[in-house]
Amino acid sequence: MNGLQQALAGGVESGTVILFPALGELIGERAGIVNLGSEGCMLAGALAAYALTAETGSPVLGVFVGAAAGALIGMAHAYLVVRRRADQLASGLVMWFLAVGLTAVLGAAFVSRTATPLEVVKIPLLGSIPGLGPILFDHDPLVYLGYALVPLVWWILFRTRAGLVLRATGERPEVVAVAGRRPELIQIAAVSIGAALAGVGGAQLSVGYVDNWFDDMTNGYGFVAVAVVLFAAWRPLWVLFGSYLFGVALASASVLQAHGVAVNQYLLDALPYLVTIVVLVAVARRGSNQAPEGVTRALTNTS
Amino acid sequence: MSTTAQHTLPERAPGSGRRNAGLARVDWRRVAIVLGAYFGCLILFGAVVALKGASPTGVYNSLIHSALLGDGSLSEVIVRAVPIALAALAVSVPAKAGLVNVGGEGQLIVGAIAASGIGVFISGGLPGPVGWVLMAVGGMAAGALWAGIPAVLRTGLSANEAVTTLLMNFVANDLMLYLIYQPWKDPTGGGQPQSSPLPGGDVLPSILGSTINLAAVVALVVAIGVWGLLKRTGFGFALRVVGGNQKAAHRAGLPVNRLMVSSMLVGGALAGLGGMLNLAGSQIQLVPGGTATYGYIGFLAAFLGRHDPLKVVLAALVFSAIAIGNSGLELNYGLDGSVVDVLLALLVVAPLWLSRNRKEAF
Repeated sequence: MNGLQQALAGGVESGTVILFPALGELIGERAGIVNLGSEGCMLAGALAAYALTAETGSPVLGVFVGAAAGALIGMAHAYLVVRRRADQLASGLVMWFLAVGLTAVLGAAFVSRTATPLEVVKIPLLGSIPGLGPILFDHDPLVYLGYALVPLVWWILFRTRAGLVLRATGERPEVVAVAGRRPELIQIAAVSIGAALAGVGGAQLSVGYVDNWFDDMTNGYGFVAVAVVLFAAWRPLWVLFGSYLFGVALASASVLQAHGVAVNQYLLDALPYLVTIVVLVAVARRGSNQAPEGVTRALTNTS
Repeated sequence: MSTTAQHTLPERAPGSGRRNAGLARVDWRRVAIVLGAYFGCLILFGAVVALKGASPTGVYNSLIHSALLGDGSLSEVIVRAVPIALAALAVSVPAKAGLVNVGGEGQLIVGAIAASGIGVFISGGLPGPVGWVLMAVGGMAAGALWAGIPAVLRTGLSANEAVTTLLMNFVANDLMLYLIYQPWKDPTGGGQPQSSPLPGGDVLPSILGSTINLAAVVALVVAIGVWGLLKRTGFGFALRVVGGNQKAAHRAGLPVNRLMVSSMLVGGALAGLGGMLNLAGSQIQLVPGGTATYGYIGFLAAFLGRHDPLKVVLAALVFSAIAIGNSGLELNYGLDGSVVDVLLALLVVAPLWLSRNRKEAF
């Protein structure tokens, strides 16, 4: 593989780390709830997945437990925000803080433990396509799950009744209530499912991409996921592009270094965040009037 | 409304006061709910440490000891509270204008970077106070710049500032790491990633023979200044109008965008000053993790203190007292120092949980 291919293949793999929490955040925000705690859900998912994998030797089991751990944090956030009317941004940050502390304490035993990572599965025919194959079809199963999840989320949100109710909840919960549904339950479910996906993103990080556990390893990716949803203007396909763009920026850093480009590692590390800000700014104006009402309220009214 | 009731229920909404105006007694049910919420959080934290095999009572003893009873612990609390309080005020000023500044961490970092650069490369030969002022001005300018970018992106291009300020934190941290790993690396540091220490004259002196240094005095004065700015000036009033209803503020002829940007500039300058004071008062040199998430803790303190400058400073002192307990817990109980983050978070979960009973919170 040449450098470009490496960067793109790495971008797909690390972009998947962002794709899951971003899709999860999209689901929650479509229901009107912002979860800055995505970062915390990822962290919890990353540790739970790694710990389970190290203990049982089964990374698949690890991914499921990672999803559960993320969902648990998400439920706490959803409960505080929906049932107790807590400030969404403050609650999200608190959940992140909680996760930082808890994973540092509980994860101390797993620093420097080894675990079998998710196996890379090269897809038979597609994987051999020259050029494209190694970039798209030579990864761990979660990457492929990501491919499938994007159209699935789109279909559920925009082509099913459940999706319609969910989106209506994000815009006008009182109308949903009048129609005989329970908007609070819908919101809690949406945030919890979204948080479970963030947990899977954490799992992809710890048992897929990095194959390790260390404190604070999510490094702001959960916050990037929130930004990706904003610049994708709440559309699943754009979430995919945004996530992979961040992934490519992330992967280019290590590829450039491996090719001996003499740029400081830490300046390169800042690149993905800068790319995210620039893209966010470039499309912000168009996106802001497409925001679900509930999200607009949460993001602009907190003094 | 009776004074007793006012004392117990500081956040009573104007309307609800009338209904209870005749009651001269304390509403014990509400007091019980509030105390119960905080107590519940302490129990939860006890459960977490018990999970790791540490004795909850021992852990609380250790926390109380490091925060209150230990040798010089009170002054340590005050020293650590300086960056937390200033980062918290950096959240509160923009919050009045309806803006969410989650970038305190990055603003602290760039403030420290600027102060370190000025201290090490420029003000070395100058008399102390001149150097201090230069570093403070540099730190404030850097912090204001770091907060100003998201502010302009918000007002000019509608990019959400909660997200951009957050992302700027990671950029600031990478910038600092770049500096201390390469161009600013301390040649006498034995290969450690750290900047050269500030020349002796630039280090803020301690006062009254204690370990409390000039930074605490500056922070206190600034906090009172912020209180005055928000409560006693037209600027503060205008910010509250903008935060209350942007459209109304615009129709009333207020320069909404300019006010929003300046609130962020003030906030960023406060956090930048916090970074400078933390550097010149206690850190002396840039090291990885030198801000120790004080920026985020400040955000929580600002929330707990409901953006009222004096309450915010109080909350910062409480959080500082908890945060310094980490080394004791690490040494005596083998717990990771980050365990105090769990307690900090839980103490904010309590008022979040109480949001529904708004009047009881805090």
